[in-house]
Amino acid sequence: MAATKCLYLSHTGSYPRIGDSTELQVLRRTTAAVDRGQATQSDLRSAEDDMTRRAISDQARAGVDFITDGMIRWYDPISHFAGKLAGVEIRGLLRFFDTNFYFRQPALIARPTRGGPVLKHEYEFAREALTHLPSPHSESRTKVKQVLTGPYTLAKSSLSQDGATHDLAERAGAYAEALAQEIGDLAAAGAEFIQIDEPAILKYPADWAILEQALVPLLRARDQVVKSGESLKLALYVYFRDCAPLYTRLVNLPFDAIGLDFTYNWALVERISQEGSPRPLGLGLIDGRNTKLEDPATVAAQIEKMLAKIPGGVAYLGPSCGLEYLPRDRALAKLGLLKQSRAALMGMPVAASGGAQ
Amino acid sequence: MSRVKLEALGVKLPLFPTTSVGSFPKPDYLTKARAEFSHGKINQSELTDLERKATQFWISKQEELGIDVLVDGEMYRGDMVAYFAERMPGFTSGGLVRSYGNRYYHKPIITGAIEWPGPLTMEWWKYAQSLTKKPVKGMLTGAYTIMDWSFNEYYPDRRATAMALAAAIRKEVEALIAAGCRIVQIDEPALSVRPEELPIAIEAMRKTTEGLNAYFITHACYGAFEEIYPGMLEMPVDNFDLEMSNSELDMLGLFRQSPFTKDISFGVVDVHSHVIEDPSAAQNCLRDAQDVIARQSIWVDPDCGLKTRTVEEAIDKLRVCVEAAAAMRG
Repeated sequence: MAATKCLYLSHTGSYPRIGDSTELQVLRRTTAAVDRGQATQSDLRSAEDDMTRRAISDQARAGVDFITDGMIRWYDPISHFAGKLAGVEIRGLLRFFDTNFYFRQPALIARPTRGGPVLKHEYEFAREALTHLPSPHSESRTKVKQVLTGPYTLAKSSLSQDGATHDLAERAGAYAEALAQEIGDLAAAGAEFIQIDEPAILKYPADWAILEQALVPLLRARDQVVKSGESLKLALYVYFRDCAPLYTRLVNLPFDAIGLDFTYNWALVERISQEGSPRPLGLGLIDGRNTKLEDPATVAAQIEKMLAKIPGGVAYLGPSCGLEYLPRDRALAKLGLLKQSRAALMGMPVAASGGAQ
Repeated sequence: MSRVKLEALGVKLPLFPTTSVGSFPKPDYLTKARAEFSHGKINQSELTDLERKATQFWISKQEELGIDVLVDGEMYRGDMVAYFAERMPGFTSGGLVRSYGNRYYHKPIITGAIEWPGPLTMEWWKYAQSLTKKPVKGMLTGAYTIMDWSFNEYYPDRRATAMALAAAIRKEVEALIAAGCRIVQIDEPALSVRPEELPIAIEAMRKTTEGLNAYFITHACYGAFEEIYPGMLEMPVDNFDLEMSNSELDMLGLFRQSPFTKDISFGVVDVHSHVIEDPSAAQNCLRDAQDVIARQSIWVDPDCGLKTRTVEEAIDKLRVCVEAAAAMRG
């Protein structure tokens, strides 16, 4: 049996905002009604609230320690934050990496600047919703993790329309400044765990220096919060490609955890079991992109191989990426697999696969 | 230049022939009927009657507008992958997943060996072609895209999945050709998703079309074409139908660096905007195009399927294509 006291279950980001039943289609119906002029923005907020509560409830019931708000209100991972900054216009659709999902591309018409908190309300809503879940979940150790798309991925996904932001490093720097301010506001609102997503660096590893530089203001913002006596962990997550080529560089970045997608290269398990990691890892061992359900015993064996080589055995087991790419029933089943895999690791009987227990 | 091939097939087209990418919006009565059918309130025969009525509407509308190569408008399809997956053994219907904004689709799950169950689109093509003397395109989704847009729980890898699908789609192409279809469009919007998999997409298309006597078009959109060009020209098709308007003509720069060697169906109107383009703007796109591509090789159409527009918007956008093409012909 492995020591699993520090093996947390952590969701990686998005969650389906729709299901097959009528009640799970409230957001789709309301959005369509708003488009037709038959519902108000207030109706839309209310439908988003409803689906956010359901996403939170599913995660909490599945026993996830670090939940997200499911990013239900996000049009996509790029335009949601970028579109709320001054100097940014939202343009046409582009494919989001190699998914069947599309994002709207931000066009920078001036240096992007933040007028005020962007995600604070979403964080506060999620935390409040979590405390109102029926007992016993309200007394669990579950915490809300806030997800932010990182400055490099935002910059790489944006179009420049003026000379001032034409340079990628400069664009990333401007986004980094806005994100650092956001981190400060989220921490002030009580956020203790913030996940920065940088999937683009796996696709464009030659931009490593730009990424590294752009992350500095975010790390500085965390350090300021911690220095003031508050608790804040900042994790960096990468996914949608093989992490192995950048593994050494990634785990040497001074984040509190580095989240990795193992589904593109399972040999990474063996490598970590030999090389180890100087810091806690996010273990994306549950495929967030395919419906096929993993065997908890196999996942447990993979974790066991790596855990001894991670300082303090601190790791965050989660899906390889957000779960919005899966139908709701499979997303829920994948959440259930997290708990089943940890149980298998502890040598406990594993509940039947197919859903959260 | 594939005009020789078209003429050998008995298809004579004007310069800048106009066409559509595939789907048109469903009239309100059909949208309502599809919902009623899914709730068991009407039967298949009643639904089919309305799908035929809507097909007839779009064929006559395209003729009225002066479109040269027609499509059936896909009144009988919901989603371009789900339609095939729902009918082919090997697939299980999956739950809804989001595509963008408020658009969702049932993403299929491959749970067994894929088979061709017999003609999937041929009867609809025959019906549409019976309504017009102009050529109607056979409209299929390509093996690579069906693979990429499905979950796979059965085949060992993505290539094996794509090849199994290619074998099945080839049989549908054969059925269309046997029914008299001379222009077959096999859509591959996933083409540029994983540049490293371009050889798989090409191999799958070859397996689908090799040795078959038709003019082949493939449609691709919203991708990083700079990563697969000019390699994508190895696709064994005669015509690439590309979204050029939404990409702000970025691709013409690529074509300047390395010549585009096939016919092109050149998207001149944005299908995601309610705004109806000015025909002169569309004409300017075509002028830019003919600086880079031989004018005999340029077809004119919208960026993508028009199913997300209203019926009126779709008609207006098609009219822009026709007017721009007419102006280019002089």
